[in-house]
Amino acid sequence: MRKEDTVKLISAEGFEFVIDRSAALVSNTLKNMLTSTGGFTEREFGEVRFPEISTRILEKVCQYFYWSLQYSSGKEVEFPIEPEITLELMMAANYLHT
Amino acid sequence: MAMIFIRVKRKKSTYFVHCEPNETILEVKAKLQTLSDHPIYTQRLILLATHQVLDDARTLAEQKVENDAVIAMTLRKSTGEWEDIDIQKATYQTLYPDS
Repeated sequence: MRKEDTVKLISAEGFEFVIDRSAALVSNTLKNMLTSTGGFTEREFGEVRFPEISTRILEKVCQYFYWSLQYSSGKEVEFPIEPEITLELMMAANYLHT
Repeated sequence: MAMIFIRVKRKKSTYFVHCEPNETILEVKAKLQTLSDHPIYTQRLILLATHQVLDDARTLAEQKVENDAVIAMTLRKSTGEWEDIDIQKATYQTLYPDS
């Protein structure tokens, strides 16, 4: 395991989530940020700030990335979503193309 | 055996770590050393659901650490004592103040 193979996502409140690059690539928006040759500084530092995504939503999104990897490798379990975060989560998912 | 992931938390940071259920805690700590720069011997891992301190030599499965489990990381202070569990929670206004 190498640090370069991970990405740090930072929420609106400044909380940090360190996840595998492979998990981050579940999101098309993150994939573009992390792989494009354009001027995204995110690619260089492996750090992405989300001033508009709250901590609990960003954590849920990260859990979803990992769930998604497990699901695509054949593990069929449900992904639980608490009703009170549904709207916020949908907005974040829309932004992240997830 | 199927890969699982765990969430290791301290202060404002969460490390999502892919693991095999038959991996030992020591192996997990080695990964956390890479990610957090805290040396293995300064780390103590505690399963948050039960507050059980995890044993280096035993595996995740043996100690009932399951997929998506939350684990607290505490560090050894310069006095040699272990710090208390310190996991910060964000406070914010919710869209649904009553929930």
